[in-house]
Amino acid sequence: MSNCILEGLDLTGRLDMSLANDVEEVGRVIDSLEEFGESHGVPRDQSLRFGLALDELITNIISYGLAGRDDAVITLSIEHAEGALRAELADNGPPFDPLTAEIELQDGPMEDREIGGLGLTLVRTLMDRLDYKREDGFNRLKLEMKLKAA
Amino acid sequence: MTNLNHDVIGGALILKPSRRIDSSSAKAFEDDANALVETGPKKVVIDASDLDYISSAGLRVVLTTAKKAKAGGGGLTIACARANVKEVLTVSGFDSIFGLHDSVEAAVASLG
Repeated sequence: MSNCILEGLDLTGRLDMSLANDVEEVGRVIDSLEEFGESHGVPRDQSLRFGLALDELITNIISYGLAGRDDAVITLSIEHAEGALRAELADNGPPFDPLTAEIELQDGPMEDREIGGLGLTLVRTLMDRLDYKREDGFNRLKLEMKLKAA
Repeated sequence: MTNLNHDVIGGALILKPSRRIDSSSAKAFEDDANALVETGPKKVVIDASDLDYISSAGLRVVLTTAKKAKAGGGGLTIACARANVKEVLTVSGFDSIFGLHDSVEAAVASLG
């Protein structure tokens, strides 16, 4: 594999972020992703589609896995290469594999519905590939979404 | 005061959120929507034409707003959703629960 350096332009750009344990960070992540996508020629609607999966996963980590913890570590690394957006999301919460976590199917009248597993359903639907591993006390999730031709 | 664009058309409350309803902005949308439904018409249309993005936290607010509207004798439906938002509404089944309309007028008419 060659590094695609063309006239000084790094075509395999990367965005690295360290996140505070606060759901307000989700807005910052999506803003940064939009900016990153724009500078890499990724159509905005596709950056946002990828951002939605990150939103759901980060919200889960902050609202459940790391709720109330002051030693929380959350890192996010986003990459655009080979016609895809990829990310690695890591957190030091309790082991949680979003690929195998059970999603309770919602049924019944509208008034009784709750939206527990919907975020994970969206993640699994929107992403083309998800890889999870538990390593050195961290959840490490890799996501990939292929970009559609405009 | 609310930052949420809104209007009343044909006796229905039109809520027009813009840009994104993500996990960090869903609470503000919920507070605004609740306050408007509390004091306004109970027939509610979400005009999604300016909305780029909705997360499950946003869907939760749509659901609670719909419950409030229904409890007041009205209902809620959705108009003018663009591709990304439409995809989320479809995956979640919200399209069949609330209905998606191509225009605000058609959405208002569907609420009777």
